[in-house]
Amino acid sequence: MDEHVLLVEDDPSIREVASLGLEQAGFRVTAIGDGRDALDRFRQGPFDLVVLDVMLPSLDGLEVCRAIRRESQMPIVMLSARSELHDVVVGLELGADDYVTKPFELPELVARIKAVLRRSTAGPPEGAISAGGLEIDPAGFSVRKGGEDVALTATEFRLLLELARRPKQVFTRELLLELVWNYDYLGDSRLVDVAVQRLRGKIEDDPAQPKLIQTVRGVGYRFGQG
Amino acid sequence: MPLRRRLTIAFMLAVGVSAAALAVGSYFVVRHNLMSDSVASSERQARRNLAIAPTYLNEGTDQLLAAYERSTTGFLTAGIHRGRLFSSGPSAGVRQVPVGLQRLVARGELGYERKDIAGDHYLVVGGPVGQTTELYFFFSENGLRHDLALLRNILAGGVGILVLLAGFAGALLARQTLRPVGRASDAARSLAEGLLETRLPVDGRDEFGSWAQSFNEMAAALETKIADLSAAQARERRFTADVAHELRTPLTALVGEASLLAEHIDSMPPESRRPAELLVADVGRLRKLVEDLMEISRFDSGQESVHAETVDLGALARATVRARGWEERVRLEADEVELTSDSRRLERIVANLVGNAVEHGGKDVTVRVARDGAPFVEVSDRGPGIAPEHLPHLFERFYKADAARSGGGTGLGLAIAQENARLLGGRIEVWSEPGEGTRFTLRL
Repeated sequence: MDEHVLLVEDDPSIREVASLGLEQAGFRVTAIGDGRDALDRFRQGPFDLVVLDVMLPSLDGLEVCRAIRRESQMPIVMLSARSELHDVVVGLELGADDYVTKPFELPELVARIKAVLRRSTAGPPEGAISAGGLEIDPAGFSVRKGGEDVALTATEFRLLLELARRPKQVFTRELLLELVWNYDYLGDSRLVDVAVQRLRGKIEDDPAQPKLIQTVRGVGYRFGQG
Repeated sequence: MPLRRRLTIAFMLAVGVSAAALAVGSYFVVRHNLMSDSVASSERQARRNLAIAPTYLNEGTDQLLAAYERSTTGFLTAGIHRGRLFSSGPSAGVRQVPVGLQRLVARGELGYERKDIAGDHYLVVGGPVGQTTELYFFFSENGLRHDLALLRNILAGGVGILVLLAGFAGALLARQTLRPVGRASDAARSLAEGLLETRLPVDGRDEFGSWAQSFNEMAAALETKIADLSAAQARERRFTADVAHELRTPLTALVGEASLLAEHIDSMPPESRRPAELLVADVGRLRKLVEDLMEISRFDSGQESVHAETVDLGALARATVRARGWEERVRLEADEVELTSDSRRLERIVANLVGNAVEHGGKDVTVRVARDGAPFVEVSDRGPGIAPEHLPHLFERFYKADAARSGGGTGLGLAIAQENARLLGGRIEVWSEPGEGTRFTLRL
């Protein structure tokens, strides 16, 4: 596969062992220990994915995440301690695709990275879906709303696709975690909630009164009017 | 009996006794004086009567009685003249004169004695006239007795009223006096309930005032002490949290290194293979311990929050057992039990309880999910059981009932499970009988 990962982590040991692990898993890794440097290096590109620690010197991970999202929809996986989970929510709201809590085993990190990357590679070719004023093209990874391109991250795109493929079906958070994030068991349902919020912000006319992606109280979400 | 009533009664008694003593004393003084006056005036009258008697006696006793009648009123007369009895009326007669007085008069002396005749009180004064005549004068003391009776009643009434007044005053005084006691007991209660800033008002320089001051000093000392203790505890917890936090970074590196190492164990030379395996396993143990410590310190700092959603407890228990590969060793009797709770925490609790049972209980692990008023999850086994002396401490941190049982656990699992249960508004109960088995029940 040889995808290029930008790993941003300030602790040298973690940086080195994570680099080793990712390289052994078949990735090309560029490891950086500082937020500002990481952003500079990111701009020189090209990368396929960013692994981003929350706590970083000079510019913290959340700021880096915000800066990257301003210019790119590149997949981002956050690294965080469990005690910093509120930071994770902020990270997700800023557009991170997934997160891994420290301490993590390398296979766990690799699995998360692969799951995110899988979202950005095309699935089986299928026809474009047209629903609720949206033109969704699975092959071209593009969504048009009223003729204009909407920039979605891979996660947001996959989430929209899964929902729109079967309009009016109610998806539980667990099912969406499985379909979109590839969690087979008890993922964090906030991943779904935050991604739905971001997606609404991009495709709904009025995100406060969503018409396309509706909440089904106590169960989950569905696409289109019920 | 309450102190207030006792004080009131004591006050009434004190006032009553002293007032009664005073009344009785003064009554007797007055009585003595009145009676003495009565004797003196009666004697004076009697002497006058005796003095004028010889003049009239020559003309007969009737003349004498008539003269007495004329001269004054207020007494009756009886007498013996030359062996003959006479009297001024039927109600007074020589026969009614006490014998002692008669003897005195017979010896030629003036004498008196008191005598009640037909319900009337008389002072009888008698004296001789010459050798042949004895005269007795009956002075009525009815008025005197009536006055004394009146005085008695007035005094008794007065004492009664005083006692009543003393009762009111005593009750009032007792209440006034005991008010600080009531306030103090209220203060002590609120202190006991944890309102450590409770203080008593210090008013006045009496004993209660100084007592209130001492009480306040005690409360202040207590408050300082407890503040110190909780500061120390907070420091301790802060320290635990800091330690766990600081351990996290090197631990993350360790865990990564160990998982890299684990992938290459097979290609290692035989002499380094076993140490590498141990290293990987021990890093796993260390990771678990640090994660548990961090979780406990999050509970301590109150950082944990509940993420509530609709959960099917039965499905959750089934998923938990399946996810951990315990299906072979655990029998499930899980009804569909819906509730609003935090599925992640429930899953942790159930996993902990079932994990313990599988690890220590060994055989016949049963997980039952049902509802008896409230939803519950019951995890039972037919293992060796837990000795009764360990049961009360089972949920304490790092408590290990049995060195052999501690196995791979961190000693924090049940403490965390209980904290989780508490956070969800439930609790975990334990029943165990050595030789019979153990049953943990999560009630929500």
